[in-house]
Formats: sequence, C-alpha cells, structure tokens
Amino acid sequence: MTIDDRAMAEVLEASQDIHSEGMKAAKAVLPQLEEIREDRRGKGVNLAEIHRYNQGRRSLLRTLGLGGGNFAGKAALGGLGGVVTALIATPAHADEALDIQILQTASSIEVLAIATYEAALGLPFIKGGNKVVKAFAETTMSQHNEHKEAFQAQTEKLGGQKQTAPNPKFVPVVEQATPGLTDALAVATLAETLETVATQTYLENIGLLDDTETVTLMGSVMGVETQHAATLRAVKALLMGGAPQLIALDASVAAKLPAAAGSVAFPLAFEPTENAADPSTGALS
Amino acid sequence: MTANTPRDLVETKVHRRGFLFGAAGLAGAGVLVAACGSDDNDEAGTDGGGDNDGDASGDAAIATFAAGLEVLAVNTYKGALDAATAGKLGAVPPAVATFVTTAMKQHQEHLDAWNGAVTKGGGDAVTEPDPTLAPVVAEKFGKVTDVGGAARLALELEEIAAATYLNALASIKDKETRKLAASIQSIDAKHAAILHFVLAEYPVPDVFAKTELAAKPA
Repeated sequence: MTIDDRAMAEVLEASQDIHSEGMKAAKAVLPQLEEIREDRRGKGVNLAEIHRYNQGRRSLLRTLGLGGGNFAGKAALGGLGGVVTALIATPAHADEALDIQILQTASSIEVLAIATYEAALGLPFIKGGNKVVKAFAETTMSQHNEHKEAFQAQTEKLGGQKQTAPNPKFVPVVEQATPGLTDALAVATLAETLETVATQTYLENIGLLDDTETVTLMGSVMGVETQHAATLRAVKALLMGGAPQLIALDASVAAKLPAAAGSVAFPLAFEPTENAADPSTGALS
Repeated sequence: MTANTPRDLVETKVHRRGFLFGAAGLAGAGVLVAACGSDDNDEAGTDGGGDNDGDASGDAAIATFAAGLEVLAVNTYKGALDAATAGKLGAVPPAVATFVTTAMKQHQEHLDAWNGAVTKGGGDAVTEPDPTLAPVVAEKFGKVTDVGGAARLALELEEIAAATYLNALASIKDKETRKLAASIQSIDAKHAAILHFVLAEYPVPDVFAKTELAAKPA
C-alpha cells in the first residue's frame, strides 16, 4: 500500500483546523461549565440551566460541523480536538439525578408520615377512640412504611443514596400542629394535610420523571395516598358535622350519611399540584 | 360468561395485551395529542416539560381510548341517575345521590379534557363509549335492582379506570399528557375509596395501586 502524501497532508491540515476550532470553542464554553458546576454544587438540579447548556452544546456542535452523522467521522480525525468535542457531545446526566432527588424527597415525605401516624396512635383519644379511626391510622402507617421502603429501594437501584430523614420543609408543619392535637378532628386535619402533600407531590413528580419504572411506582403510591386523603376528608366532615358514629364500616351507615359525604372527598375534577413539594426539598446533597 | 367481578369485567371482553396501541392503533385514529411538537429531536429532552422525543402516536391512541372510557363512565352514571329518578333503585340515600351527580360531572370534565387533546391534534371528539367494555357494562347494569348494586358497578368502573390510567403512565411520552392521566387516576381512586366506604368496605384496600384491572384496547 502506498501513501498519498498530498492527501495525507490535506487530512492533517483538516485535522489541525478542527483541533484549533475545537479548542477555541471549548475555551469559550469552559467558564460556563465551571459556572454550572459551582451553581449545582450541593444544590438541586436546575432543569432550565441544564436545558440551556445542552442547547448551547448542540449549537457548538453545529458550528463545528459535528452534528448528527458527521460527528463520528470528524471526531475520529481530530486527536485532542476529537476528545474535546466528544466530551462536549456527552449530554448532562440530569435525568437520573433528578429522578434520584425525586425518590429521596418522596422517601422523606413517607418518613414524616410514618412518624406522624405513630405519634397519633399514642394519643389517648386515638388509641382508645373510634375503632375505625384507630384501625385506619395503624393500616395507613403500615402502608406508608411499605411506600418508604419501595422508594428507598428504587433510589438505590438508580444509583442514589436512600433518604431516611423526614422532609425538612414539612417537619415544621407537623411541629406547629402538634400542640393542638387534642382531638380526633385535629389529628385527621394534620393527616389529611400530609396525605394531600404526598398525593400532589407524587402527581407532580410523574410529570418530571424519566425512568419509567419509577413513574409506575410513583403512580401506584399516589393512587393510595389519594385514597388516604379522600377517607380523611370524609372522616373530617363527619367529625365536624357531629356524627362520629357514622365513621363505621357498617352496611346500615350509607343510608344515614349526609348528602355532603358523597362529594366532600373530591371537590375538584382534577387533582391539583399547588401543595406539591419541590423535588429538592428532601434530596441528599 | 357473566362478569361478576372487576377482573371478570375486563377479562371477559378485553384482550390482555399491552395498553399501548403503537402506530398500528393510530391508523384508525389519525390524531395527535396536544402539546406535542419538538423543536429539537436529535437529543432526549431534559427540560422537564412536554418531553416530545417519543412516539406521539401512542399518546394519541391513549387519549382516544381514555375518552371512550370516560364516555362509558358518564353514560353509566347518567343511567343510574335516570333509574334512581324513576324509582327503579328503591330509596336513594342523600350521600349516594350526591356522589352520582358529582362523579358524573367530573367524568364529563375528564372526557372534555381528553377530547380537547384529541381535537387539538386534529382528530374527532370521541362521543361513543369504548366498544369492548360498553356491552359488558350494559349487561351488568341491566341486572342492577338497587342502590347497592349500582354502587358496586360504579366501584368496578372506577377501579378499572384508575388501573387503566396507572397502567398507561409509563407508556405516555408527553409529560403533560402523563400528568393529565395521573391527575384523573387520582380522582377516580378517590371515587373508589368513597364507594368502598358506602359499601361498608375498607376504603384503601391496597398498599400499592394495582394495574391488574387495567382495560386494554381489543
């Protein structure tokens, strides 16, 4: 095989041009990358920032003529330039990071819910009160524990560290309500608040997640938290209406329920997300 | 075979295959879901909103199928209301009457939302119930003679709807459409919880919401 010196020189020149252009472009981008790194250090994932970064990266690739199918061949020519452009061509892995944050925050909400139900079950008017309410608190605490374990396992499956602490954003909500937990209505009100936060957080998460397995898990847990919230709304209404005797799993109860019991649990046709916790609130840094 | 349980209701008439129609299913629908339209499809999006890198045809098929389910729910509640008004169900407790009118109205809103997505994508609004489930429900409804029976049928429909939406979540590519499905899933699960209570059953029977009852296109 003979080497065409002229063709080889042209290839080398082209390679040097790409290298030179690549270095210039990389130098321009590096400060932005450093800024993003510093901004993100110890903080939540900023989706808009990452989106802008990825758009800038695509623009750079187009400027260098490395978009799409051109990339492989041209990067192979470019030595260091190829390495730089290959590095730039790697998208930011925000998706997994955000999914892990979401799961950690979900775990933290479950931890808080478990602690709250556990505390409620120690209150005399719950422990020795309405049997259905007590059974509901016990069962719900157990269900939240299984949700927590599922979220923690999924966190680790995605390569993250499991969250075992309660959500710091909502701990004050529970602490503030604790002195006023003097009757079943106050307990039901606090529990309904937490269940609503959980439901709306998981709903919001479903619109953010990329891992489809986690989407299904989140939807499955949301489907249960929303039923907890609905039940607590009905219980609250009966307590507020002075009809605690109707909080019973008895076939004769239906005929005695007030009209409002048929709609109080779902005032809206669509679940809102205004009380959703931000994915970063329970995330581990 | 008569369907006696929610599982029967699904399995007697609905083939158990994947929920997602795929492109073949879309052929008859010819629609696109709203909010689709990527400005850059050479990379996976990471912007957290409307992720448009997937197959929009699947989303369109899901929207169409969901609308058919909602038509069925609205029609069934309307039938129950008419039967109650005509005195065919005996005495109707106030809470049950409120439930029926509220749930019917909310399912109508769900239907409108799905049809909004379907028509925005160029398709025709769905006005007919899912053709596979409709005759099964009609048969069961024909056997309802009291409020308890009507509540049981409503519970079955709500559980099927909630399971169907849950089952579809991972298949829906557009994230706003996915949130719509999850939002409706939540409300349908709430309906089911209250119906359980009315029927003297524990309102939250499952630790994790299940997909076993999910309806799937024939």
